[in-house]
Amino acid sequence: MRTLLFLSLLLISLTFSNNASEGMMNYDPDKTVLLESSQEPVISFKIWFKSGSQDDPSGKEGLAYFTARMLSEGGTLNNSYEQILLKLFPFAASYYASAGTEMTIFGGRIHKDNLGEFYKLFIDQLLNPAFSQDAFARIKENTLNYLKTTLKYSSDEELGKAVLYNKIFRGTGYGHISSGTISSVESITIEDVKQFFKKYYNRNNFVLGLAGGFEKDFPAKVFSDLQKLSDGKESIVKAPEPKPVKGLNVTIVNKKSNATAISIGFPIDLLRGSREWYALAIANSYFGEHRNSSSHLYQVIREARGLNYGDYSYIEHFPNGGRFQMPMPNAPRKKQIFEIWIRPVPNETKHFSLRAALRELRKIVDGGLSQEQFDLTRNFLKKYVLHYAPDMNTRLGYALDDKFYGMKESHLALFRKMMDQLTLEDVNKAIKKYLQYDNMEIVMITDEDKPLKDALVTNAPSPISYATPKPDTVLEEDKEIINYKLQISGDKVEFLTLDELFK
Amino acid sequence: MNKFAILLIGVLLMSSSLLNAAQGDNVFPYKTHYVTLDNGLKAILIPVDSPGLVAYYSVVRTGSRDEWEDGKSGFAHFFEHMMFRGTDRFPGNVYDSIVTSIGADANAYTSDDLTVYHLNFASEDLETVMDIESDRFRNLKYSLEQFQTESGAVYGEYRKGRTSPWSVAIEALRDLAFEKHTYKHTTIGFERDVKDMPNLYDYSISFYNRYYRPENVVLLIVGDFDVKKTETMIRRFYSPWQKGYTLPKIIPEPEQTNPKNREIQYEGRTLPLVIMSFKNDAFDPANLKSLATYPLAELAFGETSELYKKLVLNEQKVQFISPDPGMARDPYLFSVYAMVNDEKDIDYVISEINKTITEFQLSPVTTEQLNDLISREKYSFLMSLDSPDGIASSLPQYITLTGDIKVIDEMFNNYQQITPETIMSAAKYYFTPERSTTLILRGAK
Repeated sequence: MRTLLFLSLLLISLTFSNNASEGMMNYDPDKTVLLESSQEPVISFKIWFKSGSQDDPSGKEGLAYFTARMLSEGGTLNNSYEQILLKLFPFAASYYASAGTEMTIFGGRIHKDNLGEFYKLFIDQLLNPAFSQDAFARIKENTLNYLKTTLKYSSDEELGKAVLYNKIFRGTGYGHISSGTISSVESITIEDVKQFFKKYYNRNNFVLGLAGGFEKDFPAKVFSDLQKLSDGKESIVKAPEPKPVKGLNVTIVNKKSNATAISIGFPIDLLRGSREWYALAIANSYFGEHRNSSSHLYQVIREARGLNYGDYSYIEHFPNGGRFQMPMPNAPRKKQIFEIWIRPVPNETKHFSLRAALRELRKIVDGGLSQEQFDLTRNFLKKYVLHYAPDMNTRLGYALDDKFYGMKESHLALFRKMMDQLTLEDVNKAIKKYLQYDNMEIVMITDEDKPLKDALVTNAPSPISYATPKPDTVLEEDKEIINYKLQISGDKVEFLTLDELFK
Repeated sequence: MNKFAILLIGVLLMSSSLLNAAQGDNVFPYKTHYVTLDNGLKAILIPVDSPGLVAYYSVVRTGSRDEWEDGKSGFAHFFEHMMFRGTDRFPGNVYDSIVTSIGADANAYTSDDLTVYHLNFASEDLETVMDIESDRFRNLKYSLEQFQTESGAVYGEYRKGRTSPWSVAIEALRDLAFEKHTYKHTTIGFERDVKDMPNLYDYSISFYNRYYRPENVVLLIVGDFDVKKTETMIRRFYSPWQKGYTLPKIIPEPEQTNPKNREIQYEGRTLPLVIMSFKNDAFDPANLKSLATYPLAELAFGETSELYKKLVLNEQKVQFISPDPGMARDPYLFSVYAMVNDEKDIDYVISEINKTITEFQLSPVTTEQLNDLISREKYSFLMSLDSPDGIASSLPQYITLTGDIKVIDEMFNNYQQITPETIMSAAKYYFTPERSTTLILRGAK
């Protein structure tokens, strides 16, 4: 128990550090998050600018992302990008700007031996960006290549997710991927980038985050340097209100491939911090813990039937799921979706796999969790969340997210506390309140359109045969899955070709 | 910075990054304890100040390199999956529920030279973890049915990766570059072999019996734990494990005598890819010339190289260019990867790579460049030590190459002896037409 206590204190200490700055007059404690640790030889910077792809002007989708890349790879008035690369090289360091939907982070990590030299370059990037024509052309070419080829061809699962988010949030600030569209990126000019930078990277629109073994007066220095940014307003944007999803809407993207990627989702009105969120987190972890064999969906589709590599679900946005095992901080959203990710299944099992996933969703919505499932999952999560932030840089990221969500205490500390407080009843109530199976968007990246539509609309049986023998329990359950009814009407099925995407 | 390119290459190859080392005699800043059992199992214990967390790595010195029999490509990776099927004492679902109940972050990966099983968890669960881990290494048991079902999941993994043009290109590159050695195939294996996996149940038992033996496994435990108690536990749990490692019959690659070139087509759309490779020697810290190819890679083709400046930043002929010196147990490939913006520039990019090679063969780099590189390696290493897993995760590649992490010290000491002349002679020695393989991939129109 000593161990767990110690870890809890570590998580709670984030809150203390937040408040510790109140006595200082030379920086605004409301705009600063400090995690001091004198033994830590590395210093992490994360300056949060309240901006993201939701702020992209219409017709200029991708501008927030483009602007961030111009900071990461564009050089300054004092140093070209290649000079910066050379100067940072001996430190094994870099800095970056990354724009998500609602949060942009300008950050970097540096060993304290090299802090002075690094900081000069780091702050110069923010105060004197070059926005050169060369970098502009290079980044534009790079982004267009991503939209035209990489995104469409190199990973069907990432493509499926992008189409799903665009579909659910169409017409809102969340309704495009952060890289934008081909025509919008083509239309972006250097002047657009400069104006976007001026508007959002201003001295009233940031929160300074620092972690590690920095000197006491360092935060004040950074804070005062950031006052040299242009004047402007704090950006406050209301959560988007996506149109309610009605019925089962299917988008079929026709692409030559021997496997089908499936993504499913619908909006939910629930954010971390509330008791119900942690209750739903237990349900979600049981149903589809990210890249973990404890996921029930994984057990049904991969473990028992060997149809694919994994099957998961989410109640918070989880970008780059194929790369990360744990949820990365600094991708917060004021509006979330419940999402199911079915990794590519053999084409001949796509209808079956969709049925299997939605049938499981129905079972959990109607039946909730059992006491045993509840106990196992909350005990799992209580310790598992310790792995979410194993290092200072990630902890700093979580601390900034706490501020984004207006949390009074650390999300990770509260998460663990809630695992002791919540009951099975809380969890099953949250399921009933937030999850459902009648209204959702379904995206399938697959090799055919009309025959699949016909099969879906007519609820044609989707028989399955396995190359290998399966136990009777699986075969019995298959009989139900094969004929499991989905209420999909013909007018709710849309066909898209790759050429029509991200135009 | 151009993280995209680096990540892409990193993810695709699962290959070693440049060596991580720090300056002076104390390269590795932690006190290391060794436990060696009579059966040959070695354990490396590294206690560090990490409140209540432990990283536990079982490093099997077997990877796709050991798939020497015909039709068995991809098997080491498939077998990694089977290791989660359980034992009589802890059947698969029981193993899973124990891992779940202790909230461990558990996973495994396979590459050319190794298979690694790793868990991060709270210190208080160390005994539980050692109990279930030692048990599956000693007593793995699965049915034909389980074996065949898992082969479906592995085929699914193949499918999800196959859409990337890099997977297609690297598979073709290795098939072309190697005639006899098992590096001819990638870790995921050829599709025909992945398809055939359900039929190899008996072979899988033999694979386990030959390679999952104490002499071929190194335990690595990093974090907050008591060394003495842990040593006692290791003796208790791992001593009954029987010896019996059998060497794989890997055929050494015959010397290449002619340049190799191939062009291939990718079904989807992509910008053209160019990979230029040269046969490198096996990893050996005493081989200064080969060791010099690591700094050579960075200086000639890395982000601060003249070539990067020219092709990526100034002329913008490529999306990115990125090197990999190819640190491996047997002689492998030094490779340069590029994604070319316009098909008509493919030959130009290749000629620029060749020009760079000639420059490095004829003119020495500066001492300052070398010093910067050494500084970079030092800080890169120090900055990765930010959690038990951060420390542990950088070590398996060294363990698999040499069976130990002492090699990090040795490598770094030798690294300091590398001069501009060593780099020049490495460029002359390795970058010859006879050692080269060039692959071009073009997408659909």
